[in-house]
Parts: sequence; C-alpha cells; structure tokens
Amino acid sequence: MERILFYILALIMIGFALASVMSRRMLRSVIYLLFVLCAVAGVYFMMDYNFLAAIQLTIYAGGIIVLIIFSVLLVHHIEMRMEIARPTRQLLTALACSLGLAAFLSVIYTYDFQVSGPGPGTEVSVIGAKLLDYGEGGFILPFEVISVLLLAAMVGAIVIAKGTKLSENKNEVK
Amino acid sequence: MGSEAIIVFFLAGVVLVTGANFLSNLISPKSDSDAKRAPYESGMTTIGPTWVQFKVGYYLFAILFLVFDVEIAFLVPWAVAYKGIGAIAFVEVLIFLFILGLGLLYAWKKGALKWK
Repeated sequence: MERILFYILALIMIGFALASVMSRRMLRSVIYLLFVLCAVAGVYFMMDYNFLAAIQLTIYAGGIIVLIIFSVLLVHHIEMRMEIARPTRQLLTALACSLGLAAFLSVIYTYDFQVSGPGPGTEVSVIGAKLLDYGEGGFILPFEVISVLLLAAMVGAIVIAKGTKLSENKNEVK
Repeated sequence: MGSEAIIVFFLAGVVLVTGANFLSNLISPKSDSDAKRAPYESGMTTIGPTWVQFKVGYYLFAILFLVFDVEIAFLVPWAVAYKGIGAIAFVEVLIFLFILGLGLLYAWKKGALKWK
C-alpha cells in the first residue's frame, strides 16, 4: 500500500516537473512547480517527517511560489512564449542531461549504503531541543547564525528592489 | 500508517470532482454566443492587454513575507521545546528575534513597508 502511494506521488512529481520544464508559458511553469513541491511534501509525510513536510508546504509551496509568481509578473513581456530551441542545441542539451544522469546513477548504484540505526526522532519537540542545545552536538550556533542570514537576505532584497526603483527614476529624468 | 485511508481519500476526491464536472456538463443546458466569450473587466471590455507588469512593491512584500515565514518555521520548534529547557531558551530566542528585529528596523527606515 505504501508502495502504491509512493508511486502515485512519484508520478505526480515527475509528470509536473516535466510539464514545468516543457511549458512555454512562464506562469504555467510556476504552477506546475507548485504541484511538484506539494508532492515532495507528501513524500516527507510518508517518511514520518511531519515537521519537514509542514515546512515544505508553508515555505516552499506557500512563500517561494508566491515570490516566483510575483517575480514572473514583474517581467515586461509576460504574454510571450518561450521560443523552441534549435535541433542541434536540443540534441546537445539532451546529451549533456543524459551524461549527468548516468554519472548520478552510477554513483548512487555503486555506493555501498549502510542501514543506520534509529535516529533521535523527528518530532518537533526533539528538533526544538536539539536546536536550542548549547552543549555537545547542539545546534544553537547555526540557530543564531540563521537569523543573521535572514537579516542579510532582507537587507539585500531591500537594497536590490529600491536600487532598481532609483535607477528607473533617473532614466525618467534624463 | 494509514496509507490505505489516504489512497481511498485521494480516489474519492478524484471521483467526486470529475463526477460533479461530468454530471453538470451532461445536465446543464448549453448556449454559445460571441458575448459569452468576450473578456470582461467589471462588465466592461478591457482596455489594452490584460497582461500587465506588476509593481516592484509586490515583490518586496513577498520577500519580506518569506523572511518572516522562515523565522516562524524556526520559532515553532522553539515554542514546543521551550518548557523543557527554560530561561536559557528564552534568552537564545531573544537574541534570534533581536537580530531579525534589526532587519525589520532597516526595512522600516528605508521605507520598504510603505505602499507607494
């Protein structure tokens, strides 16, 4: 039963990932990507990573997709469709992709994976305790550094968004 | 795990939605005219193309939302584990929130929170 569920999710993921790459309209690609991210959350739920799945749904399917939609809507000629590449380029891309896939699969299949014992658990309370633990094996430093990273992201976004506005105004003055 | 229930739920969802659409398609009276296919904007014909470029303000708000979305994602495990750890956890999260508060202060000062 679990296996059937996994194959349904895998089918959704692969199907919509292909649709996202192959769609010639930008906004449709984004919506297909949304379905892929939701299916990934489903796989997390299957593995009992409930917290990670919730994060996947709120941040990726919620936040990131909204961000991508807004950045797509900022594009000047959104109604234009992507042009179809030349056959030689298509062939080269297919060759490069299959080479990459071959390298990836050969590494995966030759590596000797060991089954590890049960981990510390994936409940939210365990994650929180680990995150705030300042002793050996705790993650308090990354936890605080994340806030610095978020701060940098926020400042960077404001600088970039405000900077483009300023240069646009200058162009209008000229 | 109750994966059977999920599959049944999934199938029921698919059957209900397709069934409702199919039935309404079967039963409903059909009429077709040019006026029905016209795009409209509050009952009026649109002026210019409907694909318009959005303001940068939307993007700025989306990215600020995303930053605080990620912050909440880290605050949830803190809130769950808080009782077991006590005062030190409170100080730790205060530092976390202080650094993020600086970002909010910066956004405020730069006028990123104003809708122009």
